[in-house]
Amino acid sequence: MWRIFGGRKREMELDEELQAHIDIEAARLEAEGLSNEKAASEARREFGSRALVAERTRDSWGARWLTGVRQDLEYASRSCRRAPVFSVAVVISLALGIGDATLVFSVADTVYLRPLPYPAPDQLMFVAMRIFHLEMTLSPDYVAWRRDHSAFHELAAMQYHGGNPATLGGKDPVEVRVTRVSYNFVTTLGVQPAMGRNFEEGEELPNAHKTAMLTYALWQNHFRSRRDIVGQNIELDGVTYQVISVLPQSFVMPLEVQTDILTSLPITPTMSHHDPGLATWTVIGRLRPGVTQAQAFANLKSLFAASKADAPEIFRDDVSVMMEPLQQRMAGNAGALLLVLSGAVGCLLMIACANVANLLLARWSARSRELAVRAAIGARRGRLVRQLLTETALYCTAGSAAGMALTVLSLRTVAYFAAGLLPRLNEVKGDGRVFGIALTVSLLTMLLFGVLPALRAGRVDVQSVLQHAGRPGISGGYRTARRALVVGEVALSVVLVWGAVLLLETLWRMQHDHLGFAPEHAISVSIPLRGATAAKANRKALTEEMLASIQRIPGVMNASWGECTPLTGGPMGTSFSRSDRPLPKPWDRGDTVTGCAVGPEYFQASGMRLVRGRAFAEADYDHPQTLAIVNEALARQYFPGEDPIGHQIDGRRNGGWKTIVGVAADSKNQGLNQPPAPQMFLNDLVLYPGSDMDFVVRYAGDEALFSGTVRASLQQIGPGLLVNFESLDQAMGRMSAGSRFNGMLVGSFAAIAFLMAVVGVYGVLAFAVGQRAPEIGIRMALGAGPLSVQGLVLKEGAALVGIGTALGLAMSFVAGRYLTTLLYDITAMDIRTYAAVVLAIGIAAMTAAWVPARRAASLDPTVTLRGS
Amino acid sequence: MVEYLLVNHIDLLHGTLDLMILQTLKWGPQHGHGIGQAIRASSRDALQVEHGSLYPALHRLERRGWLAAEWKMSEANRRARYYRLTPKGKKQLLKEQSRWKALVRAVAQTMRPARG
Repeated sequence: MWRIFGGRKREMELDEELQAHIDIEAARLEAEGLSNEKAASEARREFGSRALVAERTRDSWGARWLTGVRQDLEYASRSCRRAPVFSVAVVISLALGIGDATLVFSVADTVYLRPLPYPAPDQLMFVAMRIFHLEMTLSPDYVAWRRDHSAFHELAAMQYHGGNPATLGGKDPVEVRVTRVSYNFVTTLGVQPAMGRNFEEGEELPNAHKTAMLTYALWQNHFRSRRDIVGQNIELDGVTYQVISVLPQSFVMPLEVQTDILTSLPITPTMSHHDPGLATWTVIGRLRPGVTQAQAFANLKSLFAASKADAPEIFRDDVSVMMEPLQQRMAGNAGALLLVLSGAVGCLLMIACANVANLLLARWSARSRELAVRAAIGARRGRLVRQLLTETALYCTAGSAAGMALTVLSLRTVAYFAAGLLPRLNEVKGDGRVFGIALTVSLLTMLLFGVLPALRAGRVDVQSVLQHAGRPGISGGYRTARRALVVGEVALSVVLVWGAVLLLETLWRMQHDHLGFAPEHAISVSIPLRGATAAKANRKALTEEMLASIQRIPGVMNASWGECTPLTGGPMGTSFSRSDRPLPKPWDRGDTVTGCAVGPEYFQASGMRLVRGRAFAEADYDHPQTLAIVNEALARQYFPGEDPIGHQIDGRRNGGWKTIVGVAADSKNQGLNQPPAPQMFLNDLVLYPGSDMDFVVRYAGDEALFSGTVRASLQQIGPGLLVNFESLDQAMGRMSAGSRFNGMLVGSFAAIAFLMAVVGVYGVLAFAVGQRAPEIGIRMALGAGPLSVQGLVLKEGAALVGIGTALGLAMSFVAGRYLTTLLYDITAMDIRTYAAVVLAIGIAAMTAAWVPARRAASLDPTVTLRGS
Repeated sequence: MVEYLLVNHIDLLHGTLDLMILQTLKWGPQHGHGIGQAIRASSRDALQVEHGSLYPALHRLERRGWLAAEWKMSEANRRARYYRLTPKGKKQLLKEQSRWKALVRAVAQTMRPARG
């Protein structure tokens, strides 16, 4: 600090010292007889460049770099302000590159590197048995394993599929998600409740007093942060629970389980493999301090061996035991998506760097006269390089700041849209880590776009530039460097555009391919009937009463109950069987078909088409589960070359054999990105007693109005009933959210990249035309027509674009296999996509080349020749 | 036309200008102009020091502690920055002188015509 302030005094002293020299010399000359004025001017002439002497002297000072930096900064900001459009272009390019890269790298960092939000997170292990693709733990084995504390400090369990929806009773019933956990679940994670106490072991017993822990968010939003909540009773699906604690705000459920309330799993110490029903749970263990993963796994294997010995009929040879750090488990299969996104932003960042480097080279080449003059009056090469570097640092700082702002702004948006696609997004915040990543990315960027061009441009050939009367960039204008950069830009944008097209095509196909039903105006109405409420109700009477009241609403065209929608398969899966073939073996694991019970108007209401046969009639429901309508997938798979109508299927379940009366068109019953699975529709109210009361309604009119009317009319039937609405269009939107996210994100990256590449091609060629104007003039003077001149420039453009595209194709070929998992109904090797991308980029780039080509053709030879 | 050598930090052997400055200041404090004049005079106009080398050298020697500077009135009745040798500078001068002598002897040796 002192140096900077002290520097000014020193500058003045130096100035005076040099002035004194000139004055003394003038006095000497005057004494020799020259006139006063003559002596003064002669002394000044004799002294030479005062600025140069001053600068050299300053260079000998210790703090010279600091003074220099200040000078460089002033000079650089002046030079940036002189070209505002250029500066804005550079800063925007950098901001987009840095912002996007920081965003995606921050998410990747959170998923893979940020420690889990629990104390000593590396001690936490996911423990499971593996059967095919299932990874879970059977209840009796969990109970046996957690008694052994030799390797694990604690083993905790929760329900296999995470939370169940439940209705939280009260004046204003809401649906909440309840997860049942072992008593030691919260303590194993190392978490202490914000208020209240943990579960106790006795609370796991089936007949124990029922207790619940609330998450902070639920306590805050639903219970308005009431301090007296602990000790109060709440009602879940009609069963009373006592609130024993509120979890801290920072508490995060492991494995992305959505939950509002924790209750106890029913666990008895006497659980055994011979119990009638075995539960499957998710188990998390905390290692004892000092126990290695290998030791713990060895211990787990011996525990598993004991389990196997106890129940060899359950644990056949295809069951094994596994252990994985919880952190790794939670990263899950985000890998493919993150890899693709990281690749995309990497490409974008490189394109941005190339673009900026190109802009800078062009500008510095145009400024080569200025640089040469500075070199001529005594600036050394190092000084020039430093000057240019200061300029790039200034751009980089501005670009990073803007990029950082972009990151913070888009982080929330991405967290919203990617929820459910990427784990742990709620932990990503604009904090120091993100800032650190941005800084790293920026420094890298600066190194790429700034240092190399600066070193290149700092090498000014003074003589040649000045001799050519300042014709800009006659020394070559860094031709090769700029061309290589443009080729790289084109190549990378081919990769990005290709990836984006594939992802968008996936999205399009998911939404438009063989949907098999008409989603417009179809609304699914779902009324959760759970716990005590469900047990008390007469389901048949209630369903019919509700259906009748829905059908009375004006605008309702068709309404039906149905356990499935065209987008779901139904709650029950069974092994397929037909009456004219041998029955499958018990516990057969293959050949499952899903089934659901539907009402008479189901197919009209949901917009599904019957291909053959008939729908169910009212009278069919007098003998439930005697008839079946199958979809085409089932017909194809199990009745190849036969007419399924009249055959009998599914003999083992209630009602015996069912006669097929119709075939329905396939619908996307496994979700939009899966092929239709074999499915059968049965004439019954419900196959699975735990199903919600679900209706499908075809309604012409405003959906908001509809939901209000339905709610009102159903409240008359059952006050306090919770009613959920979702139109099939909304459901499809929800199901394709992932693909939309991928497509939009990569698509916007690709759009930016595409634009930058086109601008790059234009810039290089426009610059080349400016440079070659004299040569073109000579050619035209010698008789070259406008077309051949245009061809000359276009040929150069075609070479750049051609090489870039070829390189890009090769790169996408390699990138293809990383993209495959995100695609549906299209392969990464799709020839048409390649062709379309090449064509699009080729046309756009050649259009960009055509503009300077036309300018070249319209040059007036007399003007350009005189100009040189 | 008088022939002279333009003295700058590249053309002359490194350290020579420093030596000449120290040598000049042995006779008493002097300002930059005076030092330049004295070198020129004592070399009988054979050496002329570039200002762009003189002042950086003066400031460099001052930083090393061999010279000290203060503002004084000059003969032309103008404030000027006078440099003088510090005790450290005097020691350095002796060192430089003996090195210079050794160098001159060595160079002279190589300049002798070859025997034969």
